Amino acid sequence: MPASTPVPAQVVLFDGFDPLDVVGIYEVLHAGTLVGGPVVPELVSGEGPRTVVSGTPGITLEAGAALDPDLPGYVVVPGAVGPVESAEGDADTIPVLLARFAQSAAMPLVRRALDNPGVTVATLCGGSVALALAGLLEGRTAVTNAMGTDLLEATGVRVADARVVDDGDLLSAGGVTSGLDLGIYVLEREAGPRVARSVESIFEFERRGTVWADRGVEPRPL
Amino acid sequence: MPDHLHLPDHQPDHPGGTAVAGTWDVRITTPVGTVEARYTFAERDGVLTGTAESQGDAGALERLTAVPADDGVRVTWAQRVTRPLRLDLTFDVVVAGDTLTGRSRAGRLPASTVTGTRRPAEGSPQTPR
Repeated sequence: MPASTPVPAQVVLFDGFDPLDVVGIYEVLHAGTLVGGPVVPELVSGEGPRTVVSGTPGITLEAGAALDPDLPGYVVVPGAVGPVESAEGDADTIPVLLARFAQSAAMPLVRRALDNPGVTVATLCGGSVALALAGLLEGRTAVTNAMGTDLLEATGVRVADARVVDDGDLLSAGGVTSGLDLGIYVLEREAGPRVARSVESIFEFERRGTVWADRGVEPRPL
Repeated sequence: MPDHLHLPDHQPDHPGGTAVAGTWDVRITTPVGTVEARYTFAERDGVLTGTAESQGDAGALERLTAVPADDGVRVTWAQRVTRPLRLDLTFDVVVAGDTLTGRSRAGRLPASTVTGTRRPAEGSPQTPR
């Protein structure tokens, strides 16, 4: 079988990112390439190649390049990890980490990526909140981790009740492990269900629930 | 107790409007940083209007109410913010003399603290108490 054209997936790192958000989807997509899938993940940042410190003590990752919004494919935006309410010691809370990311050099690049018809932006966990705080998701439908739903609603986003949301050129997923579901969904979109099932089998993981999309019949309230 | 003006077109939502009019320097302490903004309230024919300006982002205040309370005038409004971050905020403050204090909320998040002082009006007499 001829190899299909690689589809890049740039995973955007930022100070305080949740490493499980990043590594989960990265490994799902990478495992996809091992069984013939086309989506190739890479780590990037808004500032260029650099060491990026995660929000989990002891874990840092290397961004190999600057986010390129003109590169057709996927741009994956993870969330942050840290204390939720008042800070313990010097640690920044998750809303503060996301707000800082929302005002960083990455956001104008993510805006260009969203405007690029060849790019699908895929957020997971608080990644959607960061984009929304930057004003990039006005009027869109998205989801975030359960604890962030109030904040996401306050940014003008319509929050859907689902683990993964497909709003066309914007995919989003809920908290942490939902990134695995998002990765499997991307593989199914790009390479079909057999590649997706193969990776589910390798990971001993099955995607949960129905992916929300704005089509079909609007359900009546009971 | 604040004065009540006898207004020909009485607006039930703004009976305390005259105590609020003026330009205010306001500071909002949020979980994502402190924001400083300038608010301008104007009262005309019994109707109170307001605008907010911060970091070049300006907007009208919506659903504005001003009602006398035991400790001053209670003022509430909603505001669509785009800078430094995109947030829909609601405000609930009490104006007493030339100071205002209260809370601001984004959706169902924990409230932020709001404090403000009115700038002295140029060339006009003191507001009667």
